[in-house]
Amino acid sequence: MKRMLSRAAAALGVVALSAGIAHATQIFDPSTRAWVSYDPKRAIDYYRAHGGVPADFRRQVVKFRTAEKPGTIIIDGNRHFLYLVLPNFQAIRYGIGVGRDGFGWAGIVRVGRKAEWPTWTPPAEMVARDPNSAKYANGMPGGPDNPLGARAFYLYEGNRDTIYRIHGTTEPWSIGLDISSGCIRMNNDDVIDLFNRVEVGAKVIVLMQGAALYKGV
Amino acid sequence: MSAWVRSILTGACALAAGPALAATVVVGVPAWPSAEVTASIIGKVLEEHYGVAVRLRPIGSMELLGAIDRGEVDIHPEIWLPNLQSFVDDYAKSVVVADYGVTAMQGLCTTRDTVEATGIKSVGDLAKPEMAAYFDTDEDGKGEMWIGPASWSSARIERVRAKSYGYADTMMLLNMPEDMAMASIDAAAALGQPVVFYCYSPHYVFALHDIVRLEEPPHDPATWTIVQAEDDPAWLAHSTAASAWEPSHFHIGYARALADDQPAIVAFLQHIALTEDDAAMMSYAVHVEGRAPDAVADAWLADNKERIEEWVK
Repeated sequence: MKRMLSRAAAALGVVALSAGIAHATQIFDPSTRAWVSYDPKRAIDYYRAHGGVPADFRRQVVKFRTAEKPGTIIIDGNRHFLYLVLPNFQAIRYGIGVGRDGFGWAGIVRVGRKAEWPTWTPPAEMVARDPNSAKYANGMPGGPDNPLGARAFYLYEGNRDTIYRIHGTTEPWSIGLDISSGCIRMNNDDVIDLFNRVEVGAKVIVLMQGAALYKGV
Repeated sequence: MSAWVRSILTGACALAAGPALAATVVVGVPAWPSAEVTASIIGKVLEEHYGVAVRLRPIGSMELLGAIDRGEVDIHPEIWLPNLQSFVDDYAKSVVVADYGVTAMQGLCTTRDTVEATGIKSVGDLAKPEMAAYFDTDEDGKGEMWIGPASWSSARIERVRAKSYGYADTMMLLNMPEDMAMASIDAAAALGQPVVFYCYSPHYVFALHDIVRLEEPPHDPATWTIVQAEDDPAWLAHSTAASAWEPSHFHIGYARALADDQPAIVAFLQHIALTEDDAAMMSYAVHVEGRAPDAVADAWLADNKERIEEWVK
C-alpha cells in the first residue's frame, strides 16, 4: 500500500486514502511530508488561507484515454473527480463533493434537464424537523443562498428522474469531501462551466467503487 | 435454396422487364465491431472480384445461423466456437464453418502501472489478502473487481473461477454493464491506480490502455466442472474451474448451398485469414475512434491489398 501512496503522492498530492469512505480524503502536506486527513475543518482553513480548494480539485484539462464520446461525464466519487470527456483523449477534470454516506448508487444515467439558479425543495422529513427548511416547503427560489448553487443537472434513467443531481454549492470549501446528501456538488464557477459545455441527453457514468458500494447496488 | 439462388430467380424475372441484375449474396451482420467490419470487407471483395451484388443484413449471431438454414442469408462473418457449437451442430446440414479460426481469449487483466505498483503476476495472486488489499476501494479489506454484466454467461463462470482459485474470499466480484467497467479502468489508468478486471480479446481496451493479462495454468478440462444454475440451486458449490478458459476461436461460416452455386466465393471465404490484431484494430476503430464500419473496411482493404490478392487467387 505504501508504494501505491507514494506513487499517488507524486502524481497527485491528494488522494482519498484507499477508499471512498466518508471523510477519508487525505492530502499530502509538502512542508511536513506527511499525509493529513482532509476534513471539513481543514478544508475551511485551507480555503481561507489559499482562497480556493487544493490544486488537484481545481478545474484542469488532463489526459484521459477512453472510448466514451466527447461530452460524456464520468464521475469518480472515490477520488472526488468529475471528468468531462473531450476529443483527443483529454478531459476536463473538476473537483467534486459527494454524499456524506457515500453515493449509495452507481450506474449509467443521462442529463434529463438542466437549470440555472435552480429552485430547491427540501425533502419532507427535513421540513418536518427543521423550521428553517419549513418555510421553503414549497420551494426556495434560486439565488446565492440556495444550497443547489448556480446550476443543476437533473439525472434521469430513461425518462425517470433518479432524484440525483449534479449541482453548485454555497460552501465552496467543501469540494473534495464526503458531505452532501447523495448528490454531486461542484463549485459554482465549475458548475457554470460544465453547464455551458454539456447538453441535455449527455451520458453520465457514476463509477461503481468505494462509496458507491456502501448501500449495495 | 440459398439466398443467392433465390435472388437469381427474382433477378431473372426482373430481367424481362429491364436491366440485368447481378446475383445477390446476403452477408449477415451481427452487432459488434469486428463482425460489422469483416462483413463489410467480405461484401466489398465479393463485389469487386466476383461480380455479385451484396446485401448486408443486420441480424443477431444465433439468429443468423437459422437465417442461413432458411436460405435467407449466405454468409456469417464471425461464428464463435465453442460458444455456438450446439447451434452449428443443429444446422450442420445447411451451415459450413470455415476451417480457419481466429484465436480469442478470456481471462483476467490488469494495467502495466498496476503490475509495477503491486507486483501482481498471476490470477492466483488475488487470493493473497495483502494483494487483494491493493484493489480495495471501500475499506472493507477486500479488493473489488469487475467480472462482467450479470447477463453474461461468462460472469457466472468467473464466480466459479474465483471460488476455485481462492480469491472469492479476498475480492468482491462486481457485476455491472461493460461501459461502466471500461470507464472505471479509464479513471484508474488516468491516475495510475491499481485495477484488475475480467477481459476478453479481441477488444479495444488492449489498444486503449497498456494491458497485461494475468498468468494462470492453461485450460485443463479435468479442472472444469460447470453446473448450470437452472439445474441446481447449489450450482456454485458444485462447480469448479481451476484453470484458464478454453481458448475460443471465431470462424467465417457460409451456406452449404453456396458451395455448389459459387465455388470461387467459397474458396475465398476458406482462405480469409484475419488475425486477432485485425479484429482488435476493427474494434478500436469503431468503438474508440467512432468510425463507421464501412469506412474502417475501406481503410483495411487499402492497407491489405496483398493479403486480399492472396485470398482471392
